[in-house]
Amino acid sequence: MEAAIEVQGAVKSFGPIRAVAGVDLVVGQDEIYGLVGPSGAGKTTLIRMICGLLKRDAGKVRVLGHPIPEEKRKVEGRLGYMPQERALYRDLSVEENLLFFGQLNGMKRDKIRKRTAEILDFMRLTHLKRHLAENLSGGEKQRLSLACALLHRPELLVLDEPTVGLDPALRQEFWKHFHELRDHGHTLLLTTHYLEEAGRCTRVGFMRAGKIQAEGAPAELRARVARVQGGTPSMEEVFLSFASTEGK
Amino acid sequence: MSAARVWAVAMRVLRQMRHDVRLIVIMLVVPSLAMILFGFSFSGDIRGVELALIDEDRTDLTSEIVNSLKSDPTFQVTELLPAQDPEKLLLSGYQAVVRFPDKFTSLYYAHFAMGVATEAHGTLHLWLDESDPQIASAIRAGIADALMDVGEGGPVEVEEHPLYGVEVRFIDSFAPAIMGYVVTFVCSLLTLLSVVREKVDGTFERLWAAPLRRGEFILGYVIAFGLVALVQSALILGIGKLVFHLVINGSVFWALTCVILFAVGNVGLGTLLSALAQTESQAILMFPLVVLPSVLLSGMLWPLQAIPAVLRPLAYMVPLTYGNRLLRAVMVKGLPPWSEPVGLAGVLIFLVFTVVLATLTLRASVKQ
Repeated sequence: MEAAIEVQGAVKSFGPIRAVAGVDLVVGQDEIYGLVGPSGAGKTTLIRMICGLLKRDAGKVRVLGHPIPEEKRKVEGRLGYMPQERALYRDLSVEENLLFFGQLNGMKRDKIRKRTAEILDFMRLTHLKRHLAENLSGGEKQRLSLACALLHRPELLVLDEPTVGLDPALRQEFWKHFHELRDHGHTLLLTTHYLEEAGRCTRVGFMRAGKIQAEGAPAELRARVARVQGGTPSMEEVFLSFASTEGK
Repeated sequence: MSAARVWAVAMRVLRQMRHDVRLIVIMLVVPSLAMILFGFSFSGDIRGVELALIDEDRTDLTSEIVNSLKSDPTFQVTELLPAQDPEKLLLSGYQAVVRFPDKFTSLYYAHFAMGVATEAHGTLHLWLDESDPQIASAIRAGIADALMDVGEGGPVEVEEHPLYGVEVRFIDSFAPAIMGYVVTFVCSLLTLLSVVREKVDGTFERLWAAPLRRGEFILGYVIAFGLVALVQSALILGIGKLVFHLVINGSVFWALTCVILFAVGNVGLGTLLSALAQTESQAILMFPLVVLPSVLLSGMLWPLQAIPAVLRPLAYMVPLTYGNRLLRAVMVKGLPPWSEPVGLAGVLIFLVFTVVLATLTLRASVKQ
């Protein structure tokens, strides 16, 4: 099966700062791949390159079998992107936001209406559908933002810090959604700096200083650290272990 | 009240400004520009009105009047050969045509025949572009002064030939300028704010990850603000007609077509300016950069001829200068847009230039 995302030796600098310093990454279909790392690790820059929003300085990026950004147009309607900012039209209602992003992705009005009802139900936002986005709470905005990325049923979902700022109960709910999406055949690439969330991904890449320092399934990474340190390490301990190894 | 806390708040606000270099630049540029434009833009005197002169009599008396007109800085006089159609001359850019007919001098002197005043008098023909009443008044005053110079008014009758069939009042020539100004304000500034808001809220990121082209984005804005401009222009015309008995000498269809063309250019301008602003406060501070030249240098409040020569090249860089010219030609003179080639070309060049540049720069303004 063809990989959903293939990145080889990707490099991106902003002036003297090398935000992504030679990343290799393969995300298979039906995966939930988590890019985990502290702020400034290069996660957002990497996924913006994957979405074709930034041109790489070196390396190769292929998404759904197409080189990016060269063939970005062939991928756009098949990709759903949720940026770090909530990226909503605050002066549009919940359903108007969804209508706009549905139309942008080439959906017909009838289909948008049907899908909006489904997705609002899925996100538990139905009762708020006529409310302006600016009047929603932080968690509701976050759910609407995710709904906008999901509306057109993209094969690949790229989510930048989708759970940041959410309370633990809502984060739990989001992760339930992510696994349901995966079960429905979607591929998810997401970033997070919550280390405990890494354990919920099918595979995790620990990113630091523009590089992926370690990669694997959470159980596999834990086992690697346990072989050295013993015990049952948490994802935080796993990350710290790889970070200190890099330091040496 | 604690002076220390007040000072802390004031210092914090100033420190915040210090970190926004664009804001500082705009804050320094705007008052400087305002002072320079307000101070210099209206000299009070109208200078360099294009006057075509046809002297069919060619006598010492007519030469004397011609020389007097030439020495008046109000006019830029061009002497032309007889048998030219004055109306065509006005359409080609002259703002007035003066013709001394054959026998002007003999009729002038016949007035004093044998030392007795008679009914005879010289008749000077004047064709006048009345689309700008301020210029028309300056032309009438300049000609009256020239006639006074030669014979204290003398027995000369100035026969005016109304070109557009109606008397043009200030409000009639001001209404097209109001339409142009409103289109400038609404389309360029609201587009600027709206696009900057897309950047600030992050919706830009989502748009460019979706299958949306830059041209589609700009065209969408053009349609939305074009409709707004149409509604606003219809309101201006409706209120002008009902309340001020506005005389619209031309076609409302062509006037609204020109409004749409000008609106498209202004949406392009707003999008282009949005590349220079990263925050909404920077965008708001850019407003005077668009509004001040439009109000002071476009011929909206006073004719271009009343703007000092040193600022006039700047006036020709203001889009509303061409918008005003085109809308006045259509609404006051009753001409189709192509009969005002300078105004039409100016508006079209503005449209193409801003829309193409805006399309090219739009993607670059996604936050890096």
